[in-house]
Amino acid sequence: MTTIRLKGGRVYDPANGVDGEIRDICIRDGRIVALHPQDKVDTEYDLAGCVVMAGGIDLHTHIGGGKVNLARMMLPEDHRLNRPRDSLLELASNGCCTPGTLETGYRYAQMGYTAAFEPAMLAANARQAHMEMGDTPILDHGAYVMLGNEEIFLEMLARGEDPQRIRDYVGWSIGASKAMGVKVVNPGGISAFKFNQRKLDVDEDHVHWQVTPRKVVHSLARALSELGVPHPLHIHASNLGVAGNIDSTLATIDALEGLPGHLTHIQFHSYGREGPKKFSSAARQLVERVNAAPNVSIDVGQIIFGQTVTASGDTMRQFANADLGSPRKYVGGDIECDAGCGVVPFRYREQSYVNALQWAIGLEIFLLMDDPWRVVLTTDHPNGGPFTSYPHLIKLLMDKRFRDEQLARLHPDVAAMADLREIRRELSLYEIAIMTRAAPARLLGLTDRGQLGVGAAADIAVYREEADREAMFATPEYVFKDGRLVARKGRIEAVPVGGTHFVETDYDPAIEKTVEAYADRHASISYRHMKIGTDELCSCSNGGALLACKVHGRGRAL
Amino acid sequence: MSTTTETNPTASVSGATAQPASWTCPFCSLLCDGFSVRAGPALELIGSDCPRACAGLAAFDGLGRVTPCVDGASASLEAALDAAADRLAAAHLPLFGGLATDVQGMRALYQLANVGGAILDHAHGEAMMPALRMLQDRGQMFTTLAEIRNRADLIVCIGTDAVSNFPEFFRRCAPPAGQDSACRVVFLGAGEGAPTAAEIPWASAVESVRPAGDIFDTVAMLAALVDGRRIPDPDGALAALADAMRSARYCVLVWEPARLPPHGALVGETLLRLLMNLNRKTRAGAFTLGGNDGAQTANGAMSWLSGLPLRSRVGPQGVDHDPLQYASARLLDEHAVDLLLWVASFTPDLPPPQTALPCVVLGHPALAKACAQPGTVFIPVATPGINADGHLLRSDNVVSLPLYAVRDDGLPTVAEVARALVARLTSGAAAKEGAQ
Repeated sequence: MTTIRLKGGRVYDPANGVDGEIRDICIRDGRIVALHPQDKVDTEYDLAGCVVMAGGIDLHTHIGGGKVNLARMMLPEDHRLNRPRDSLLELASNGCCTPGTLETGYRYAQMGYTAAFEPAMLAANARQAHMEMGDTPILDHGAYVMLGNEEIFLEMLARGEDPQRIRDYVGWSIGASKAMGVKVVNPGGISAFKFNQRKLDVDEDHVHWQVTPRKVVHSLARALSELGVPHPLHIHASNLGVAGNIDSTLATIDALEGLPGHLTHIQFHSYGREGPKKFSSAARQLVERVNAAPNVSIDVGQIIFGQTVTASGDTMRQFANADLGSPRKYVGGDIECDAGCGVVPFRYREQSYVNALQWAIGLEIFLLMDDPWRVVLTTDHPNGGPFTSYPHLIKLLMDKRFRDEQLARLHPDVAAMADLREIRRELSLYEIAIMTRAAPARLLGLTDRGQLGVGAAADIAVYREEADREAMFATPEYVFKDGRLVARKGRIEAVPVGGTHFVETDYDPAIEKTVEAYADRHASISYRHMKIGTDELCSCSNGGALLACKVHGRGRAL
Repeated sequence: MSTTTETNPTASVSGATAQPASWTCPFCSLLCDGFSVRAGPALELIGSDCPRACAGLAAFDGLGRVTPCVDGASASLEAALDAAADRLAAAHLPLFGGLATDVQGMRALYQLANVGGAILDHAHGEAMMPALRMLQDRGQMFTTLAEIRNRADLIVCIGTDAVSNFPEFFRRCAPPAGQDSACRVVFLGAGEGAPTAAEIPWASAVESVRPAGDIFDTVAMLAALVDGRRIPDPDGALAALADAMRSARYCVLVWEPARLPPHGALVGETLLRLLMNLNRKTRAGAFTLGGNDGAQTANGAMSWLSGLPLRSRVGPQGVDHDPLQYASARLLDEHAVDLLLWVASFTPDLPPPQTALPCVVLGHPALAKACAQPGTVFIPVATPGINADGHLLRSDNVVSLPLYAVRDDGLPTVAEVARALVARLTSGAAAKEGAQ
């Protein structure tokens, strides 16, 4: 039995309403406990001058799976530098926008993050995604299975299948792929591109299946709601990156009809068509709508200037942008009548009008949202920028002067005109703690993570208070994972294998006959291999803990 | 030392069984999982006559009990592990070659490589490089087996008959029964012996087109014709093929980098340019045949762990990748390495290359004889899908499948041997911590 006392730190724990109080946090056997101040502990840390938060949780970061691995292979230039490491515990691994899994785990942990979620797990590629996440040390992890473009689902929608059967199919898919939630990417559009359709608006028919993205979004959101899956439908909306796409984004919110939905990397979906360049910020329009829609949460997908790579399931949009690649390379794939993948290296430039405006739009969304519980801090790693930019992003949000300095360096039209100039808000440490820990935990249904209450898992980050928030958040003083010290001032101290979060739902198993009949006819693998069992998951994820979350929806219709 | 985690419900791992076990075949990267194996005195393939699978299974016939071997003398597993660890400890820069293993094997070998540093390359490294260098220089546009089955209306095999090394390929591409769309198969420069219409019964037509010069000239002309450029003296058959590709709804280009002459990456790049142009108006994708003997798996796992693909050096200084400098043959010829650790767990067809350097071989038991020689430590290892469980990545780099043991020969897996070597080469808490 190991006990630890973190003494006298300033605690920010929004899930429990704690806003900067000096208090002790005690740990026993990996959990937070209440100890009497006189109780003896094995180890005590003096945290005077330090800020204490729960470990960071990234709910949208492309850390594992086929397209990420293709991006790694494709970009040896991202891997020329080897960061000097001062811990023998770190195995060789490198990369900045496409780091190896080992490097990913080390760098997240060094930054005070203790969990990360892969948002785009293809059912066809689920084993590999779990393997890669299993090889991402220290972090707990999970993934959202991509639905809404697989032919079996579109066929079910096209023939007007009963919503209960759709619900059962979604429950089966989550169970088969061991997912934490469901993501839809360009609803119906990845499939439509395989039928040579190049554009698909929210109310436009898929050229072959004659179903609309509106129908896809609503059906999936309803299924998740009925299954009782905690994480709302994770939505990469139609028309990513297209000027004027605010219309389809608002239409997608409408399609939810009040059901829970999480619109991801919303910055890429908040563009107007105003101004001389026919490309403008629609951040105010978006935020006004989201503020009034309590069923909707968002993450931003902030862009960060410099080299990165965009890796997405949205083949329709990625192929359209292939010529913008820098360096000029492109990976695209049509995958297993299930999904797709497109990888385009990209360099965001301060002097590009479009890129500068994208940067401003992301920050505007962060700063205009009323409710920090419904906006999560992400760069859509690596699509907007690598996750290692988070400390820089936090400084931009917390420091108006720093933000203005950055803005002044951008394309002159953006620097002179952006709405962002007028926004004086500076986020507090409490709000940052919400956007990086408490809100993602709540949106994922992680009741014992993202908070520091008694009984919670002791995933804790301790930062030395500094006026320079970037420096402060880049290198925490201590990071604990399940009560174990894993990083100290940037030095890795332990490399436990992280656990896998996944949801177990109730669904009518009769749906398996439908899936099996489809597989026998159309798939390229045997039906029995379309499901990952828990023992197999254990092997894929490298023996880490299996953090199953059983949920019960509105009952099975048997 | 068993790592069996999930037993195939229809399989028996305790010896002979009358019931054939459903099975995932490890003997080529298509990873067929529609057949079964009856594990009696011999391993019998049920449901296919794939020569590759049959040969792979036959290699286990009459092996008896194979023991480790140190410098030609039979040894216990412990003694062989001690000897291998001593030799690894004495090496300054070993080459980890062969790498015919599964995901778990690569995970453990990667830890071992990190103990003192090593260069990693696969037995098929040379064959993999055209596709890898094309990816690094230009990218790729790929498709996968289920897309081909359900969508392709034209399959063009360029410079390969596909079936010599992947006998089940066309059966795996067969459209769903009763599907009304027709799919034509064209072999371009595939040489003699390409499958006939009778061998691809589902195809609406099977044709062969002669190349127009060498493969480089042929694909360059085809790309120009697909692009609609006017070229002097176009080859009539190629022009017709280009027209067919442009009017196809979903054209699949099949290529096999291992069959290409030196600088084959240029063929891949031309095909990619062709595909990018074709996709501006219609849809198309490439299917790359390759990655046998765990090559796709080794490259995939290496890439995700380290951030860089095979032909990389890892160690305390980090990772360094060089597709030319870190080629096995070159490293061995130039004595740029001082030990060869060779891994070949699938078939006896991948013996270690001849070298005067000290060797540690984690090999198929049928390699025992070839490896009973001075300077070599031989440790027989289990084969994923035969006498061990495992995971492999398919040729398309997307799908990975579990493999289950159909019998138990008491052999350790590559992962178990590698972990035992890590334990011998390291000590104390740091080793345990590092073994994540």
